[in-house]
Amino acid sequence: MSSIVDTLLSGQLLFAALVTGSLYALVALGLNLVYGTLRMLNVAHGDVVMLGAYGAYWAFSVGGISPIVAAPAVAALGALAGLAVHRGLVRRLFATAGAGSTRLEGNSLLLFFGLSIILQNAAALAFTPNARGLAYWTEVYHLGNVAMTGNRIAALVIAGATCIAVAALLGRSLLGLSMRAVIEKREAATIVGIDVDRVQAISFALGFATAALAGALVSMLEQISPFTGFPFTIAAFIVIILGGLGNLFAGLGAALLLGALETYGVALTSANMRSVLLYGAFVAALLLFPKGLFARRARAA
Amino acid sequence: MNDADSAPLLEVRDLGKRFGGLTALSGVSFSVAAGETVGIMGANGAGKTTLFSLIAGNARPSAGTIAFAGGRIDGLSPDRICRLGIARTFQIVKPFPGLTVLENLRTAAMFGRAGLRDRREADAAAMAVLEEVGMAALASAPAATLTLAGQKRLEVARAIATGARLVLLDEVMAGLTATEVAQMLDTLRRVRDARRLTLIVIEHVMQALMKLCARIVVLHHGERIAEGTPEAIGNDPRVLSVYFGTAA
Amino acid sequence: MSAVPVPAPATRAWAVAGLLGAAALAALPFFANPYLVATGLTLLMWLALTQSWCLLSKLTGYVSLGHVVFYGLGAYLVVVTWQSWPLPLAIAAAGALAALFAALIGLPVLRVRGPYFVILTFGIAELVKYSILAAEAASGTASRILFGAPDLIVIYFAMFALAAAATLLLVVVGRSRFGHGLRSLRENEEAAETLGVPVVRYKLLAFVLSAAIPGMVGAVMALRSTYFVVGQVFDPMISVTAIAMALLGGGDDTRGPILGTLFLFIVSEVLWIRAPLAYMLILGAVLAGFVLVAPGGILGLLDSRRARGASGA
Repeated sequence: MSSIVDTLLSGQLLFAALVTGSLYALVALGLNLVYGTLRMLNVAHGDVVMLGAYGAYWAFSVGGISPIVAAPAVAALGALAGLAVHRGLVRRLFATAGAGSTRLEGNSLLLFFGLSIILQNAAALAFTPNARGLAYWTEVYHLGNVAMTGNRIAALVIAGATCIAVAALLGRSLLGLSMRAVIEKREAATIVGIDVDRVQAISFALGFATAALAGALVSMLEQISPFTGFPFTIAAFIVIILGGLGNLFAGLGAALLLGALETYGVALTSANMRSVLLYGAFVAALLLFPKGLFARRARAA
Repeated sequence: MNDADSAPLLEVRDLGKRFGGLTALSGVSFSVAAGETVGIMGANGAGKTTLFSLIAGNARPSAGTIAFAGGRIDGLSPDRICRLGIARTFQIVKPFPGLTVLENLRTAAMFGRAGLRDRREADAAAMAVLEEVGMAALASAPAATLTLAGQKRLEVARAIATGARLVLLDEVMAGLTATEVAQMLDTLRRVRDARRLTLIVIEHVMQALMKLCARIVVLHHGERIAEGTPEAIGNDPRVLSVYFGTAA
Repeated sequence: MSAVPVPAPATRAWAVAGLLGAAALAALPFFANPYLVATGLTLLMWLALTQSWCLLSKLTGYVSLGHVVFYGLGAYLVVVTWQSWPLPLAIAAAGALAALFAALIGLPVLRVRGPYFVILTFGIAELVKYSILAAEAASGTASRILFGAPDLIVIYFAMFALAAAATLLLVVVGRSRFGHGLRSLRENEEAAETLGVPVVRYKLLAFVLSAAIPGMVGAVMALRSTYFVVGQVFDPMISVTAIAMALLGGGDDTRGPILGTLFLFIVSEVLWIRAPLAYMLILGAVLAGFVLVAPGGILGLLDSRRARGASGA
């Protein structure tokens, strides 16, 4: 019993939970923007994380550039990719199925799933399916009896700062207001003169950028493979379902909670349980909120 | 033959419905005898569609009871209530877009009170209804290709095809031109008389309501504020003050 | 997912073609070499899996991305009872287990709508997979080696029976009152319920019916591998492939899955020989491509071609 309490009180684990949670928050933020403005479940979102991770990895292995320095560039590339996807695929999808239909949501999910398979296997073909890791800033710093590596501290700080910055952007700027309006009610936003297409394009760009950024950070922390993206997609969905669509601060809390669940759960049981906990939380979240997020918003109203 | 049985076909007592903090209906009571056509009148938000949802089982009452043909139906599932003999149309039409007009009615004939399990029987009954409402030519058309007037007519046809005794019509005239309103009115009268249906009608198109209904119930902010013949309602001071702000 | 096509006037032609194909498949083991028989076995497996998926997802509109969970459960049961249960019993039990699982999770799971249902089913399949993996790791079982499996011919005919059963089930349900109720709730669930369709019961029944045959398919396929790996029998790509085949085919009756399975199967066999690594990629591209360009699948393309021809355009 005392060992369980020790585990729960461990500063070491707390730090690990915070790092994991902050990364989940960053990834979920991006998905929130994409899904919120478009109402399409982008299950390929985690694969953008994976690509960002590979981008930083190659920048480091080939060019010697630190992942932290490479991160903004990777994020910018992500933004461009987001714009490209919006232009190329999303507009086409609206044209085929007709905006606002439920078939659109079901079809878009399969579309993004197909995209995810393409990305994962293209990466496997290009980079081989083997896991790779890089070692960067592994010096250990101590705070009390908690040992923290530099790369983890950096990841936490960058992820946290980005989340807060984007949340502030959404909360205070006119652009942010437009985005929130589109998330809330797309049809109404058109009526008040918001250029919904432009807002959606920006959401995609920002969403992909944050995902790619998260990927760059992840490359410092764990081994990456073409298939490391998917758990991030799942985690991001859990965070959005628990935190609520468009509600970024609640999402932050949900992300930290999920990070804690995973970290402490694994510590108390075993590493094999990591996926069980993650998918267990996923299934539970969906079963508890069967209408996804809309029921919760209606009750709040 | 006495159409009005000693007991009413539908009896609503003290019906109430709350959605969170919002009270949609409160203390509503009225009854409908078999063969009657009763109108429900009221401004938007008065609780009319909520009333239909409660009767048809799409929502549960927060208070009060609903009895149909002598048995309690509040709290039953919508499909159960349909099999007992109540059908409704939806204010915002809900056709089966990928199915043909005939297939839309087939569902009603198979699963409603008529309960025709054999496909050919169900289709025959469905075609009969389509003839009555003047849609027989559209039987093979996908429901999604109909005009709004056509889809409204489909809603009505579907409800009738269930073989229901009581049909709830929710603003079936909304969005129709004057000609279409006249046509719908004519169709409703014919079908009602041919099948001896009991109707409850929500309408904003006043002249249709007045022509169709023997009795009107007026709702306001979820409460029943008046009930009577169309003429009486037209002169009722409470109704006039609600609609025009003055006592005429 | 796509609109119901207007019933094909050439139904008899389809039926004859189908029967001829079935006869050819039944005769295959008697004149073909083992490699071809194994290929035929795989084709039959995909037919069974895709047809059973359509029973749920095409008819009700509840698209499941977790179909593999039934397959995996069936396979796992056979492996776990290997050498201690007679095989016919194990295979039947596999179907029953899958159906039971569906019955247990069906009510809460089917309350979830639209795309959430899609990802939920995916999550459940993964959850079952990782739970079994964790349990096996905890109990120290790594992988299993299976000796004494029946001959390829026996397995082939078992799968033939399952594929035939899956096809027959889809045909019978599709034409029944039950099937019409399912289609109605697919088109508009609230309206269907208000018209008397017992939607909750029907959805659950479709779910359970769609689970039994994949369970037995998994059980039979387990006999093929002497070396059993949990991750493989719960591989999400199995679900995705079945969906791709169904989507490719289009429609909501048996013609679609048969067309789609044949088409994708031929494509994949060719690819497998030439460019195996690209196969997954092509599969993803097929899925994405069809959603974008031809959401009605092959049948949809045929129907629009016929409609255009009829109108003289």
